[in-house]
Amino acid sequence: MSTVAPPTRRDAPTSPDAGTHRRTHQRARWFLLAGIALLLAVPWFAQWSGQPFVISLFTRFVIYAIAAVSLDLILGYGALVSFGHAAFFGLGGYVVGIVAFHVADGSGLFGWAGTNEALLLWPLAVGFCALAGAGIGFLSLRTSGVQFIMITLAFGQMFYFLLVGLMYYGGDDGLAIHTRNVLGGRSLRDPRAFYLVCVVLLVVWMWLCRRIVGSRFGMALQSLKQNRKRSVALGLAPLRYPLVAFTISAAGTGLAGVLWANYALFVSPDMATWQKSGELMAMVILGGMGTIVGPALGAMVYLGLEQWLTAWTEHWMVVMGPALVLIVLFGKRGLYGLLTAFGRRRG
Amino acid sequence: MRLELRKLCLSFGALRVTQDVDLVVESGELHALIGPNGAGKTTLINQISGEYFPDSGDIVLGDRTITRLPAHRRAAAGLARSFQISQLYPDFDGEDNVAMAVQARSPGGFGMWRPARSDPRLRVPAREALARVGLGDRGHVRVGELAHGEKRQLELAMVLASDASVLLLDEPMAGMSAEESRRMAELLVSIKGRYTILLVEHDMDIVFALADRITVLVYGQAIFTGTPEQVRAHEDVRRAYLGSD
Repeated sequence: MSTVAPPTRRDAPTSPDAGTHRRTHQRARWFLLAGIALLLAVPWFAQWSGQPFVISLFTRFVIYAIAAVSLDLILGYGALVSFGHAAFFGLGGYVVGIVAFHVADGSGLFGWAGTNEALLLWPLAVGFCALAGAGIGFLSLRTSGVQFIMITLAFGQMFYFLLVGLMYYGGDDGLAIHTRNVLGGRSLRDPRAFYLVCVVLLVVWMWLCRRIVGSRFGMALQSLKQNRKRSVALGLAPLRYPLVAFTISAAGTGLAGVLWANYALFVSPDMATWQKSGELMAMVILGGMGTIVGPALGAMVYLGLEQWLTAWTEHWMVVMGPALVLIVLFGKRGLYGLLTAFGRRRG
Repeated sequence: MRLELRKLCLSFGALRVTQDVDLVVESGELHALIGPNGAGKTTLINQISGEYFPDSGDIVLGDRTITRLPAHRRAAAGLARSFQISQLYPDFDGEDNVAMAVQARSPGGFGMWRPARSDPRLRVPAREALARVGLGDRGHVRVGELAHGEKRQLELAMVLASDASVLLLDEPMAGMSAEESRRMAELLVSIKGRYTILLVEHDMDIVFALADRITVLVYGQAIFTGTPEQVRAHEDVRRAYLGSD
């Protein structure tokens, strides 16, 4: 019967399991280091191959990777399907855009002259997003499951229409930004410099997120996802952990928005559409939920495929859609799971 | 710590699942709760653990009234429970599961920096609790791969690791083989006296062997409380419960 474990399992309890585990772990580490090295090599590759647009392409990859990693924090580790995360992407971007707007025409903002300094403006924008995340999370986390999806979608749509209604800041047409922020007084106009700033932020953010998910806080978050009833009985507050995670996630997504505004030198309500929220989710699922590194990869593969396939057909979703379905059905942890587990079944 | 229920009442619509239940579990006592299926035993446990709030009446833990305390704050008040159907973390391994129980009772749950999986303050007590229930060598097996009996043992390890003084054990031997039940009973004997325990159990041999006192619950009412000898001798109890078996 199933209640009695075969004796062999009892005798050699952990070694095969632990072995594969360690191998997967090592593979994941090499995979991550190789990925970072490749990202850092992009500017040189672009120069060597004489194709400067590669830098622009990869800047986009990296910015979306930051947003996808942030979403993974709640989607992968908290099973919180936020369908309104693009709002934070948009909010981060609009803080940069609106401040730039007032700096440019010298009008000031509530008596503040504004600033072009990233070291000041970016934390401010990210803080704004964290605050918005805390508020929206506080209200949304009272629900769960489908209701949570719908309420985050509703907040996302509210914010979208708010942006459309901001006629002073361009409304539907969006807002052009005259110049990129400066970092510690240094210009970021050089695409290579800006790209490297983005890569450093991505790497630091992934590192922070990995620390977070492996900490006591992260374990509590994951435990609530796996069995809320048990966690509550053990004495874990059921609202607090997801709320803090949601706030951190909103902040990270906001950072991506800030970088996007600086990259595109343009913000518009398009940044906050529900389709954008869906894209972020697709990136996370494609790359592998609950892996932090996977969603970063997912963002790059998603955008790369989009770039490549749109050159071929406008209906690129015809290819991407089935690919996503296959990944969800067969890849337990998306592309990341496939890569790190490759060859694991042998031996 | 002493647990007392005073005139506890709960209805689901027209169904009165708990009717004026008075129950005292003295400090260090192993108190068994028996009764036919549908008598409201688990519902009573759920009210004590805070999953449901009673309509009226009071729950007193030590000298503190916890009737309206949210479930997650009852653990800090000294209460721990096991579930009739094992409630575990399927993606974690056994040690992670127990470590969550240790973490939940210790301060610093919002630590976001130190890796929890290599924190000896969580792992050492977790391994101790696993060893106590006889799972010392199974800590690194994912819960999904554990046998049913092992899951029940793990469930008890989590209760023990949570460092509570009052334990609510809802059929800890449910679905176990005879051999596993025997070992679980031994385990309960080994912890008896150190905790205040309210035990729901169907196996009368085990109940009569283990319990200091027994309360019989029928249709939401506590019809009798007494020592195993008194319960065995009691006419109503025989008719309501033991005789029908």
